[in-house]
Amino acid sequence: MTLELLASAFITGLMLGGLYASVSIGLSLIFGIIRVINFAHGAFLMVSLYASFWLWYFFKLDPYLSIVIIVPLFFLFGYAVQHLLIRPMFVREKALVVEPIGVLLLMAGFDIVLSNLALLFFKSDYRAVISPVASTAVSLGFVDLNLPRLIMFFLSFFIAGALYWLLNYTEMGIAIRSVGQNRDAAALCGVNVYRIYDFTFGIGTAAVALAGAAMVPFYYVNPAMGTSLGVKSFIVVVLGGLGSIPGALIGGLLLGVVESVTAQFVPATSAVIFSFLLFIIVLLTRPKGIMGVLEV
Amino acid sequence: MSSPGTGWEKGSVVAKRERISLGWLVIAAFLLLFLLVPLFLHDPYPLHIFVLVFHFAFLGTAWSLVSMAGQLSLGHAALMGIGGYTSTLLFMEWGVSPWIGMWAGAIACAIIGVVIGYPAFRLRGPYFALTSIAFAEILRIYVENTEVGPFGIPLRAAMGLLVPLRGQAPALFQFDSKEPYYYIALVMMCIAVGLSYLINRSRIGFYLTAIRSDQDAAEALGINSTKYKLIAMAISCALTALGGTFYAQYFRYINPERAMGLGMSIEIALVGVVGGWQTVLGPMIGSILLTPTGELVRAYLGGTYAGLHLLLYGLLLMGVILFLPNGLNDPLVRAFRRLEARVWGRAGGAGGVAPPARPQEKQPQQGERG
Repeated sequence: MTLELLASAFITGLMLGGLYASVSIGLSLIFGIIRVINFAHGAFLMVSLYASFWLWYFFKLDPYLSIVIIVPLFFLFGYAVQHLLIRPMFVREKALVVEPIGVLLLMAGFDIVLSNLALLFFKSDYRAVISPVASTAVSLGFVDLNLPRLIMFFLSFFIAGALYWLLNYTEMGIAIRSVGQNRDAAALCGVNVYRIYDFTFGIGTAAVALAGAAMVPFYYVNPAMGTSLGVKSFIVVVLGGLGSIPGALIGGLLLGVVESVTAQFVPATSAVIFSFLLFIIVLLTRPKGIMGVLEV
Repeated sequence: MSSPGTGWEKGSVVAKRERISLGWLVIAAFLLLFLLVPLFLHDPYPLHIFVLVFHFAFLGTAWSLVSMAGQLSLGHAALMGIGGYTSTLLFMEWGVSPWIGMWAGAIACAIIGVVIGYPAFRLRGPYFALTSIAFAEILRIYVENTEVGPFGIPLRAAMGLLVPLRGQAPALFQFDSKEPYYYIALVMMCIAVGLSYLINRSRIGFYLTAIRSDQDAAEALGINSTKYKLIAMAISCALTALGGTFYAQYFRYINPERAMGLGMSIEIALVGVVGGWQTVLGPMIGSILLTPTGELVRAYLGGTYAGLHLLLYGLLLMGVILFLPNGLNDPLVRAFRRLEARVWGRAGGAGGVAPPARPQEKQPQQGERG
């Protein structure tokens, strides 16, 4: 085990972590503001990959360019899902906070529906985009990096930064944060809380779709891919702190590095055990997560 | 009857007397019917569907014990897998009969349940649901990719384990025909539902109801909420492990993708949620409705439309959550009580007939901090 090998595992882990972080940030935002777990998060990701794939397949649109179409499209999709599916549950309970398990199960049902619709229409074939970027490598001397993965790594910071800007420097963002901090007071100040929920869900969905489009150049598209990354994103947001956006970034990078570095010592498949151990240790010692803001 | 254990008639003498009357009669009639089915039905496929109905009713009832503590488990397949793998491995390696091996799996799963539950139950919010998924998925990935586990355990990776065939061997939990499995599944379901009924009426059951209604109030009264959640979890996990052994012996094959996968976890939870999670009879009702539907759709349309039965399950789950948040149990119980009142000629009577409104449970508004 040379130091060089370890360093290259660390860098590879950071790339992988960038992917986990990009995928998880939207989930964390939605939990932080609406206090619901979007169980269909992985399915949303899968659908966004398909969307980007088909845009490339039929219109020869480069996946990175397809972002321009996919992000607004998925914002509307998320907005509609929250408005049409989740909002009725808030209205029924006449509350600004619903019992989270109900929404979790609702979205679990939606996850099953989306995954199996994809299976019905697209079959379980693995599909991939042929892109000149996909095979480009960037050399760092001791390690060669796949360019799309490097882009993914920087994208995680971009998503986190964009959301930071949105939440702190726009009127909508300030309204969103106020709802996250104290929804009753926000409502008293004239903020339409349900509308903020719709927007937040849309933004969270757009964030995961952005990650999805950027994944297409180096990731196989198939109906089952959402499940494994969905579960990973749950682990990431608990690690980083449910509801915290910097937490999701750090949690994602940490998970990627832990997986990649432990894979140098044990078979890669046993390495997943360590990511779960990490999860349990964080739950036991610091339940609110690394950057946790939530009282537990 | 009034569904033992919907909770709202507890302690009412009148309700108790009613329960002995019609409810038990209906249950006895159903039981007798189920006991007689194999005498008239010799076609293996319908029998197979019955076995699956009982099996999923068993798993769903075991699962619902955790939800009675207000917690959602989406990782119960892992416990089923551990149970099935334990008994099968003990049989393959040392020739231990699965009848004995199943208890080893049950004890192992009770311990695992406590270890997984302890860190998560102390926290409010969706932590337990997320932990249970993470645990099950990681176990599945591990087993799927491990030929030989620690201590030389031959896990056989994604291939799964084939239970060595011994023909007609009742002592080894193997039978040539479907009928014995039918009766074993029926007995297991009855034991699980009975246990759930007893727990619901016991001190633990009252504590669990208190905890899921308002954890702060329950704790203020001196109930150690983590302890009782862990007890419910341990019983639930042990039962699920027994179900795993049944699964392995019935199909004579167990593999990580099916027996530990998220799909199985969700199917178990689905049966409970659709029927009425947090109720005694709900999972059984859910299984009677869902399992044959899913099985028939899979059998007749699964070839051309893979995933169609899961699509239906997903839509049904969404529909139930949106329109019947307490599952099918509640409307069925209400209809049954109306029928009961008519049978006893008390229809038209005032308050005594209509079912007492179920006290609105104050949902623990867990995420709320502001």
